[in-house]
Amino acid sequence: MPFYRCLIPEDSLTYDQRERIAVAFTDVHCGLSGAPRSFVQVAFLETDGSREVADAYGQGTMKFSTPYFIAGGNRAGRSPDMKSRILEGLLGRFAEIAGISGEMVSGRISEAPASWTMEEGKILPDPGQESEWFAQHARSG
Amino acid sequence: MTTFDFFVQHGCVPEDARQEIESALASVCSDILGPGATPVSASWTVIGKGFGFRGGKPSTTSLVRGRIPDGCGSETRARFLRTVAEEWCRITGAAQDEVIVSARDWSWAG
Repeated sequence: MPFYRCLIPEDSLTYDQRERIAVAFTDVHCGLSGAPRSFVQVAFLETDGSREVADAYGQGTMKFSTPYFIAGGNRAGRSPDMKSRILEGLLGRFAEIAGISGEMVSGRISEAPASWTMEEGKILPDPGQESEWFAQHARSG
Repeated sequence: MTTFDFFVQHGCVPEDARQEIESALASVCSDILGPGATPVSASWTVIGKGFGFRGGKPSTTSLVRGRIPDGCGSETRARFLRTVAEEWCRITGAAQDEVIVSARDWSWAG
């Protein structure tokens, strides 16, 4: 379920950088949350200079003032501390791999209940329930 | 009213399939969620080749993010999500694990 949209200036990142960021985001998200790696979606969207993006997990738009922006969407149910650590981890790795200062990238993570999303024909589990969920669906085929 | 935001990987959903998808999902909204779910609008975002990843690897997965009227029960929502996914796979030829469907309440702030 986590869907991280990286809003970036045109031609600002190479494929190698994008791939490394996607792997790093997967490492950060899964390392902190314990979520399966296959859950993590990362997309890079080149902007036309606009500094706002629709909130795909809530309503309205996310406005930002930095050249790079991470618009995240996660399952609800994690602690504020965990959410903060995930976002800080993403921002740090992004800046490192993109070769930019930390002041050039910002981000926000919206959330929605896990039960509002279906993946591979199955309603997603709440955070922390992934092992039981995988076991249950392995049994049911 | 219902809105759909489609995030599709480059080359995975032909442009000429979009209208059929939108029509099919409008019918799903009406049939499962009732008249309050219409009209239905859609927006499409194509993720460029080499710009989309899943688990750190190049992705062929599409995301269908719906916003539906408040008050949908869990069984109805699950049936809605399942039917949207089935219609998506039928029209696009995608496998079940290549589409993620969600439907949040209209008033959900995120």
